Amino acid sequence: MKYHLEVHDNTINPDVESRSDDRAEVKIGDESYDLEFQRISDRKISLSVNGCQVNAWVEKTDQGKTVILNGQHYFILDKDAQAQAGGKSKRSGAGAEPTTVTPPMPAIVIQVPVSEGDMVKKGDTVVVVSAMKMETSLKAPYGGKIIRIGVGEGDKVMPGDILVDIEKIGEEETA
Amino acid sequence: MFEKILIANRGEIAVRVIQTCKDMGIKTVAVYSEADESALHRLEADEAVCIGPADPGQSYLNMDRIIEAARETGAQAIHPGYGFLSENHEFADQCAQAEIIFIGPSAKVIREMGDKLTARKIMIQADVPVVPGLSGGEYTLKDMLETAGEMGYPVLIKASAGGGGKGIRIVNSPDEMKESLEAASREAVNAFGDGRVYLEKFFTEARHIEFQILADSQGNTIHLLERECSIQRRHQKIIEETPSMAVDPELRAQMGRAACEAAKAAGYVNAGTVEFLLDKNGNYYFLEMNTRLQVEHPVTELVTGIDLVRQQILVAAGQSLKLSQEDISGRGHAIECRIYAEDPENGFFPSPGKIEWYEAPSGPGIRNDAGVYTGALVPVEYDPILSKLTVHAETRDQAIAKMIKALASYVVIGVRTPVDFLADVLDCDSFRKGEVFTDFIDTHFSDWAPNGNETDLACLAFIADELCARNPGSGLNSGQGPLPSYSPFQTLGNWKL
Repeated sequence: MKYHLEVHDNTINPDVESRSDDRAEVKIGDESYDLEFQRISDRKISLSVNGCQVNAWVEKTDQGKTVILNGQHYFILDKDAQAQAGGKSKRSGAGAEPTTVTPPMPAIVIQVPVSEGDMVKKGDTVVVVSAMKMETSLKAPYGGKIIRIGVGEGDKVMPGDILVDIEKIGEEETA
Repeated sequence: MFEKILIANRGEIAVRVIQTCKDMGIKTVAVYSEADESALHRLEADEAVCIGPADPGQSYLNMDRIIEAARETGAQAIHPGYGFLSENHEFADQCAQAEIIFIGPSAKVIREMGDKLTARKIMIQADVPVVPGLSGGEYTLKDMLETAGEMGYPVLIKASAGGGGKGIRIVNSPDEMKESLEAASREAVNAFGDGRVYLEKFFTEARHIEFQILADSQGNTIHLLERECSIQRRHQKIIEETPSMAVDPELRAQMGRAACEAAKAAGYVNAGTVEFLLDKNGNYYFLEMNTRLQVEHPVTELVTGIDLVRQQILVAAGQSLKLSQEDISGRGHAIECRIYAEDPENGFFPSPGKIEWYEAPSGPGIRNDAGVYTGALVPVEYDPILSKLTVHAETRDQAIAKMIKALASYVVIGVRTPVDFLADVLDCDSFRKGEVFTDFIDTHFSDWAPNGNETDLACLAFIADELCARNPGSGLNSGQGPLPSYSPFQTLGNWKL
């Protein structure tokens, strides 16, 4: 059986042939691996790869799995599962440009220095939130007019909550 | 000696204090907020009292309620840990009025050292060198701009009531001054209820060296060597070690004496820390005195073999130090890594949530001070520190190797931790050579990403997980996983320091 995986922007298509309940032969590119495995617990698996043992921790996520191995984190995207779910968005990485005003983590609103109807420039601070005692300024992702403010000081907010709606104005300047 | 101590804190430090109390045969009382119903510290103590809602202002900072809890349970002393009320002079004062021993220095010393401006003045009078900057009273934006212009940028804005990286902003140019001042001041109001800020020269390639102090009420003051705390992100330490590679025996003796002088000038009693900045020319400047147990105290404990919490309790009970300066010597090298719930790939943003899986390394020379377990919640309301991993070995190189190995088997699933980031920092040439400065992370690791060079292996783990899941018969503990919730009986009597 063929898998379609993506790890840190590399596409990997392992070809898996099951040998028994705890053994499989896996081809990745030109490499061939003799894989033995044993589930130790819900999230821990002991692997033996061509006779070399290593422990891995695996956590299922929306579109794949997070694998922790030798202290390193790997986010593995399962393209088949993704296609089934009809999703198209990738994990929003550090470099992704935000298009909405939403906190990166669960947080508490400290200050909203703008009012409805205000004009803001791209990069202006529109909400200040605090998570675990650390303040973070949420910036306007583009220039425009504030049409709605959905939060007040002291509110608890979650990633995905749209705190402030901004109507995009002056496309050519902000593009 | 006290029969019962209340620990006015949470997380790993509350657990750590409880451990020493248990060693000493002292009963413990934990206090907890509604968000910490199943937190480790609440479960580890002999008794536990809920002191209010999640908001720290109504629980861990609620002095009246905490003192009431001490009265209700008959605790004779309160250990404040670090953070929260540990450096709050009003709390120390209220404890004294309630005839409960506050395990720390007097309210007066906390007030004077807690106000960084007053502390600067006391040190200037005692001939302890201080960092160049403003040392007076109230400042306007104009004053700040003038002084910064004279000293040259970058400069640091610091909260007079500050500590723990809160209320600090680095200012690189005059046009950043206004927003930084406001942000620092606001953060200081929120964190400390005092928005006063002041200005200090910012040294590039400076080291942050601190000395552990122990002083009894009989007037004996000793130091327990230095800690190197230069590796910081967002002005918060993440890796600490002792001894420092920048401190030779002569400088150690000199700075140690200065630290003791500083503590004496402050009238200090109990365990405390004198922080110095060491510039690249070997000049040192008093930064501040921390009137509490430090987060990074385990490195000192490992090389000196002294339990600092035990010493704190003995001094608070009025006993004189059994140790003299000649008794103190360091053996080997210790390194601590702070394990925060934060995302190193995303500006170290906090990453609260539920810990789905927690597995800490163990072995010779490995100590893990943890406040969490599999199934524990990391609330958004509090500091995101989960645990501190500390190693001890004969040499610095051995300690680095041990730490890298330990980090590789430190597994936290559910919240992001910087475990992989920390291993990369320890593994880099500059760290190995000991070229550690306070701007180390920004200089070498500003655009860090996981190196993840074992992608094939990771994919094999992915596949094995798929195949195991499809064959529920295979495996030792199939489908069951860890116990769904923490039970003190799982670890009772089996806790490793």
